[in-house]
Amino acid sequence: MAEPVIRIEDLTYRYRGQREPALDGVSLEVAEGEFVVVMGHSGAGKSTLCVSLNGLIPHFFRGRMGGEVRIRGRSTREGRVGEFAREVGLVFQDFEAQLFSTNVALEVAFGPENFAVEHDEMVRRVKEVLGQVRLEGFENRQPATLSGGQKQRLAIASVLAIEPRILCLDEPTTDLDPIGKMGVFEIAEELEEREDVTLVIVEHETEETLDADRIVVLRDGKIAADRPAREVLRDVELLEESRVMPLPVARFFKERGIAIEERPLTPQEGLEEFKRRGWRVDAERHQKLVAADEAREKDYGEPLIEVENLTHRYPNGVVALEDVDLTVHQGEFLAIVGQNGSGKTTLVKHFNGLLEPTEGSVRVGGVETVKQGIRRLGERVGYVFQNPDHQIFSDTVADEVSFGPRIRGLGETEIEERVKEALAAVGLEGREEEDPFGMTKGERQRVAVASVLAVRPEVLILDEPTTGLDYAEQQRMMELVRRLNESGSTIIIVTHAMWVVAEYAHRAVVIKDGRVALSGTVREVFSHEEELRDLALRPPHIVSFGNALGYPVVSVEEMLQITGEG
Amino acid sequence: MKEIFTMWRHTQMVVLVALSAAIYAAVLIPFKGFAIVPGFIEIRPANAFPVVFGLLFGPAGAWGSAIGNLIGDFFGTLTLGSIGGFVGNFFLGLLPYKVWGAFFRGRNMETNVDTGKRLLAYVAVTVLASAVCAAIISWWIAVLGLYPFQVFFALIFFNNAIIGGVIGPILLYAFYPRVKRWGLLWTEILEPEEVSASRLQRIGNLLVWIGTIGAVVVGVFFGLSSKNPGTPGVVIGVALFLIVVVIASLMLGGREQVEAVEAEEEEPGAPRVSRAR
Amino acid sequence: MDPSLYLDRNTWVHRLDPRTKMLLLIATFVLAFVFLNPVYELVILALVVFFGYLAKVLSNLRRIRFILIVIAIFTIIIWFIFGGGNLGGVIYGISIAIRIDITIIAGMIFLSTTRNEEVAIGLVRLGIPYRFGFAVSTALRLVPTIASTGLTIGQAQRSRGLDLDSGNLIERIRKYVPLLVPVFVSTIRSTNVFSMALESKGFGASPKRTFYLQPTISWRDGVVLAVLVALLVAAFVLRAIGFGG
Repeated sequence: MAEPVIRIEDLTYRYRGQREPALDGVSLEVAEGEFVVVMGHSGAGKSTLCVSLNGLIPHFFRGRMGGEVRIRGRSTREGRVGEFAREVGLVFQDFEAQLFSTNVALEVAFGPENFAVEHDEMVRRVKEVLGQVRLEGFENRQPATLSGGQKQRLAIASVLAIEPRILCLDEPTTDLDPIGKMGVFEIAEELEEREDVTLVIVEHETEETLDADRIVVLRDGKIAADRPAREVLRDVELLEESRVMPLPVARFFKERGIAIEERPLTPQEGLEEFKRRGWRVDAERHQKLVAADEAREKDYGEPLIEVENLTHRYPNGVVALEDVDLTVHQGEFLAIVGQNGSGKTTLVKHFNGLLEPTEGSVRVGGVETVKQGIRRLGERVGYVFQNPDHQIFSDTVADEVSFGPRIRGLGETEIEERVKEALAAVGLEGREEEDPFGMTKGERQRVAVASVLAVRPEVLILDEPTTGLDYAEQQRMMELVRRLNESGSTIIIVTHAMWVVAEYAHRAVVIKDGRVALSGTVREVFSHEEELRDLALRPPHIVSFGNALGYPVVSVEEMLQITGEG
Repeated sequence: MKEIFTMWRHTQMVVLVALSAAIYAAVLIPFKGFAIVPGFIEIRPANAFPVVFGLLFGPAGAWGSAIGNLIGDFFGTLTLGSIGGFVGNFFLGLLPYKVWGAFFRGRNMETNVDTGKRLLAYVAVTVLASAVCAAIISWWIAVLGLYPFQVFFALIFFNNAIIGGVIGPILLYAFYPRVKRWGLLWTEILEPEEVSASRLQRIGNLLVWIGTIGAVVVGVFFGLSSKNPGTPGVVIGVALFLIVVVIASLMLGGREQVEAVEAEEEEPGAPRVSRAR
Repeated sequence: MDPSLYLDRNTWVHRLDPRTKMLLLIATFVLAFVFLNPVYELVILALVVFFGYLAKVLSNLRRIRFILIVIAIFTIIIWFIFGGGNLGGVIYGISIAIRIDITIIAGMIFLSTTRNEEVAIGLVRLGIPYRFGFAVSTALRLVPTIASTGLTIGQAQRSRGLDLDSGNLIERIRKYVPLLVPVFVSTIRSTNVFSMALESKGFGASPKRTFYLQPTISWRDGVVLAVLVALLVAAFVLRAIGFGG
């Protein structure tokens, strides 16, 4: 093998002010044209690894670095970031923070401008690169007016225009909706094909890593595995230990006691293996699951939120919702899914009075929302916004959580009790005096939930509660939501994460272009796989697996329950 | 005062200029408050930001305030007055960190408001910087012959000083530990040699107050005693005192504040950069 | 959300080089300040409004008419009070009021015909250092983003019970804290990623820098500038030979 393009030797890095190193003795080689995926939990050192590739470590951060990173033989210690930036293109997760220009063409030209590329060459690159990421015709658009997926593609284009031979994408799809994700994956696939481009992608979405040459799993700053992709993906035990979401089909076979080497990965492979082993589905047991769904529906209480012929038009004339009917009963767990811009968030903002219907009506507890006002509605309907940083403002967790009760004029003892109760509910008891801004994203998300719970609402709306969290944090968040539901809260989540819908929600409503496209129990909705695909929503692998067998299931556990020996 | 030029070498400082300008301008829009003289003076919660930016981001905060104010004009009313607004807001961000250094000379120079003394210092620099900012803008408006000095001065001064005094300390108290944790204090980003050393700092501190009070007194006095807003008493008198303010801010330096941070960094445990992801 | 005044009309005014438009704006300011005479100011006002008509952007006047009227009234009252409470003071006030309205309308026409990015490019082309121009244009780009974040934050806090419209002045000012803190923190939090992304794209990598946009000075710019110079000369000549004063 020729000299590797990336050679990392015993890299250790500790950020200043941190006790634990972010990376601890990492050694890694990547050959020209390879496609390597990096996985790991939050704080495992993935981003640190990325920024060490172009010299941001050690030059940008003033931490302590040990070991060596060589790009085409040259140590990153020896040159400035600007020099390595020609070789290594870096795309960050946060697309908002990496677009600087006032229109798309200028954004793409920004890198070449910095490297003083001649004008004609620059024009050529802008055209070529925008073609590659399918943004032709967008040259004069302001980046702010693009969708999330388009922004991320633009961010990739603006790095490609520098023509780096190594491209590193740090969680490029985490903040995107399903269509946005697909767009980015398509570009990534084309880049994989190219022999002259070496690709390093940090990714959460396990289902998208199947094509990688290798997967590197990081755990607490160390390399836990560095093996061919399929080998790593079959090793469910390793992934679970590393707090990375395993492929559900592989997990199913693992739970059935199948050895690592024999585990299939995709629904298709799973289906073949299932049949080859002569397993079969116990129809009776599946019928029980369906019956349980029905029984659960009967158990719901009174209608709590009633939406009738709701139409919402924004002041600029755009129709965001059209003729929506929906009833949410007490005790339900409802998931609202759809692409960005489909009207999901507009819909739920009607439930707590943030928006008022243009036509039709929204009633909460039998009374029209317009007659109740946000403040009073807020006591019945709690709303947790997507980004916890958009609501946290206090210096301590206790102050933050007590904001709602305090503003409603409750007494001090009452406030204290509620703060305690809310923090216990989210698993943050004893951390009252901590600074919420110093917590991890998952913890901040839980502080935001607690601050809404402290008002003791009957309904809890959560907008994208799992975005930006790793697998373990997502599970933890959703277990919390499930507990709240089981103790009587009505839950409404807006989400892109299909596995979350499948595993936790009872009922799903799919919104498309402001209208309800599909509605029913999660099992029903996910059994319409074709329609979902048309809506660019892909059910989780385990659901597809069940559907392919003719028995819709929502989780690996259900699949295990209904599987019998042949 | 060379740091207002050398800071542009640092990518983080350039970004902080852009971000603080954008925050300042953006907050003007959705939280517009209400106008006293529409197009010229409004009660706006954003007015608390320049002093806070200055204490956290130093020269980047000064530039950010100046540009932010100009951009605010871009979304409404761009007039000749905008030039005065640019310069005035620049000093609104610049003076606080300079004077702070003189106040806490030889002691802990952290720009947090965690003690009564520091709160007092905060109010003092807010009053001072608001007065200078208001004097610069009102002087410019008077030079243009538009309004008498005292009218504009009173409007801008009270607006900035009241809003800044009421919520500025709360904001700074909330921001300081975070900005420090992210390693974004100006004293952490700049190198000592990029910042002017102070000369005769105590006299400089005295002069900045004399210049400010002088500019205000002269401006109001001549403004009241003449029908012509562009009277030489205002145009020349205020200008002379404002020059004193500029000279004083040259004397106030700022390198000591950077050196203090460097010294602190020698000891372990000073958090610099933590990344959420 | 886009609070910008820019109106995307296809007129020759819009197609002028941003530098020409900047000079035009400055020249208008100068013209308005050459004389202080109500008749003269009215003539300049008419010229400015006519120019706005040619640029098809007068509809924006409606957006600022309230400001124009209030400023005019305020100015006249101030000058009535400080001008000695007589007719002379009122006339003086009217002249000043028209002068101020001219600068506001001229600024409005400039902003209605010039994109924000053109302003930034114009600045750099006029010799302002690149990094300064970069900061201005980046700030301009971020304003709508941060403003809409601000609206989201407002919604989040109102959902939690924040009510901005009650209490005395001090209480009302304090109620902005739950809005301002998240705006600041969520924006400044991204500084390091932002800076890293910049450096990763070679920001400051090379002392020389090329520009994608090339200047496009046309004959129209020449004509406009010639007319401008003629107007300025005429005004100064009139002033020199003793008109107005």
